[in-house]
Amino acid sequence: MFDYHALAPDFIVAGTVLAVLGADLFLPAGRKWLSAVVGILGLTLALIPIATLAAGDEGVRAMLDGSYVIDDFALVLKVFFILTGYIVLLMSVAYIEEDRYYQGEYYFLLLASLLGGMVMASSRDLVTLFVGLELVSGPAFLLAGWRKADSRSNEAALKFFVIGVLSAAILVYGMSLVYGMTGSLTFEGIRAASASVAEEPVFVLGILLVLVGFGFKISAVPFHFWAPDTYEGAPTPVTAYLSVGSKAAGFVGVLLVTYVAFGGAPDIWGPTLWILAALSMVVGNLIALRQENIVRLLAYSSIAHAGFMLVPFAAAGLVEGASLNQAFEATVSYVLIYGIMNLGAFAVVIAAARRTGSGQIRDWAGLGSYAPGISILLTLFLFSLAGIPPLAGWYAKFVMFLAVLQDANGWTIVLAAIAAVNAVIALYYYARVVQSVWMDAPPEHINPEPEPTGVSPSLGLAFGMLAVAVVVVGVFPELIAQFAKAASLIAGG
Amino acid sequence: MDLSIAQNWFFIIIALAMVMASLIVVTTRNVMHAALMLVGALAGSAALFVLLGAEFVAGVIVLVYIGAIIVLFLFGVMITRVEIGRSQSLDHERKWPAAVIAIGTFAVLAGSSVAFFGDEEIEGVAAVRTSDIGTAIFERFVVPFEVVSFVLLAALIGGIVLARRDDPES
Amino acid sequence: MTIAQFLVLSAALFSIGIYGVLVRRNAVLVLLSVELMLAAVNINFVAFGRYFADATAGGQMFALFIITVAAAEVGIGLAIVLLIFRNRASANIDELDVLKW
Repeated sequence: MFDYHALAPDFIVAGTVLAVLGADLFLPAGRKWLSAVVGILGLTLALIPIATLAAGDEGVRAMLDGSYVIDDFALVLKVFFILTGYIVLLMSVAYIEEDRYYQGEYYFLLLASLLGGMVMASSRDLVTLFVGLELVSGPAFLLAGWRKADSRSNEAALKFFVIGVLSAAILVYGMSLVYGMTGSLTFEGIRAASASVAEEPVFVLGILLVLVGFGFKISAVPFHFWAPDTYEGAPTPVTAYLSVGSKAAGFVGVLLVTYVAFGGAPDIWGPTLWILAALSMVVGNLIALRQENIVRLLAYSSIAHAGFMLVPFAAAGLVEGASLNQAFEATVSYVLIYGIMNLGAFAVVIAAARRTGSGQIRDWAGLGSYAPGISILLTLFLFSLAGIPPLAGWYAKFVMFLAVLQDANGWTIVLAAIAAVNAVIALYYYARVVQSVWMDAPPEHINPEPEPTGVSPSLGLAFGMLAVAVVVVGVFPELIAQFAKAASLIAGG
Repeated sequence: MDLSIAQNWFFIIIALAMVMASLIVVTTRNVMHAALMLVGALAGSAALFVLLGAEFVAGVIVLVYIGAIIVLFLFGVMITRVEIGRSQSLDHERKWPAAVIAIGTFAVLAGSSVAFFGDEEIEGVAAVRTSDIGTAIFERFVVPFEVVSFVLLAALIGGIVLARRDDPES
Repeated sequence: MTIAQFLVLSAALFSIGIYGVLVRRNAVLVLLSVELMLAAVNINFVAFGRYFADATAGGQMFALFIITVAAAEVGIGLAIVLLIFRNRASANIDELDVLKW
């Protein structure tokens, strides 16, 4: 009944989670960072069965009445979560060790949260999706408050927690209505049964409540207000994880429920996500213009990026006969590329904030004159987020516009126009930071002498790999495109 | 709904008690009363689950929710010394907009449910036995069952780390 | 018994919970209101499970998972509240003003 080969990646990561916790018991106080090494080894090991599963040609492996599935979508997203885990572990080592914050438990929670994302990628029923989402968010609430003595971190955790449990309650209420209308918990069953009830108000309410629940998780406007505060207050590596891993988990949920479970009701989620996409892009970018703190700037920019990722849904839902696969592929590509460049941006922010001792953009003026390496990388990641070729971000925006314009109608053209205007606004505030870093004179209180410690090797490795990835993916976008195309097969048309 | 059936009277009494208890949960100025009234609302839901033939879920509600979660709440209330007596500062000023939103939500949810399901009876089929639930947990729902154990483990470990008092020197 | 009577009750509890979340300032009381919303969800799932005579006990199983997750959430929430109380001696959400809304 169980396909142990298919379950192997999840089993290995689950074992790694426990191994990290166990290792923490035996490691002496000065060597707690070794539990991160255990984590990295375990994540590497988990890539082996994923490779053999991808190489095998058995197609879709379904278990437990089709509620747990290994297909290309699941494999691509599992690899994405594992690589996100790698980078965040590397970013965390120096940051967490510096303040001696319960390192073993930190890595344990981080990996447990990643395991939740991997489970979500395979889940094809509401129960597994919900439980996986809770495993993503539960540890994340705790990690946001990890700087225990810092009251901003405490508040970040409380705000994130209250919004998180509220959104979970709304989400499951919607799921209960969907179950009540279709009598099924699996996506397949819901899709099959939804044809006869697609117009019923109760079913529509169920779908809307599920989308509101996920709207909080992906921090789409108007469910975004927790994100900037939580991002600013949480430890920066955790913020990087929240803005990439946790957001990707939310998008896995949205992709699965809309295209797979509610595939028979695109005229409900299409307009809803059109509104969320437009609001997220406009509000996120306009507020980002006024931000003085780099983390808050990236928080609002990540809200705007969530809007860009939602744009293809509107095309899939609103245009009769549009290619669902293409829209699905566009969102998956965007999520993967956004993950690379946003993690990179946060890695550089950690290094630059250490160098300048500040997160305020005005204190970063003239960074290029005394820390050119960090400044070049910062420029690279911010321009990639802005979508300037030949950096990876251009391809994410390109497939997004392609999906929305290829089979267009009035609604999608309006949305594409909003997206285009917002891409320009975003370019302005990213460029403003870059200009200040290179053109302005350093403020008086910043000491331009390099610190003796410099950038820690693990952090350097993290942004080095991401910088290479941003350039390589930008020049050869097929690298991402082929994975996204394979993943889009489950969209069914 | 046929009022000649004893079940229906039972339902109406419990439902009214639950709604009253939940209204007190969200309006009382006394945190202790709020937690205790939540016990009332949850006990009512356990009684309804017995009525629906879901004895196992009813038992879990009593043991886990009322026995453990509410006790945890009471600990939280007492340890953090949220004013246990009457307190004026527990609510926002914006009560009317919230009431309008809540009543609107109720009208939409209840109205659409009644419009769709009308007076469809819950069939008198045999209730799910506890052994069926055991089988379901370890066959069909084994993955979420294992995953939820990680959620609990993470909550336990992380909760201890956040809540413990750090030694000054470490 | 009709299915609609359970749905109306659950809608009432859910709406009362939403009112509580919007009105309360104290984190513990907000959490209590969310528990009301989850109780409403459980009623829906168990009633629908009975309505469909679900052979895999799907409705009841979902309710059991929600109860378990709620237990974990309450543990996490009270740990955070305790932490904040240690640092600030207050559990009111509004008094958290270092980060502006």
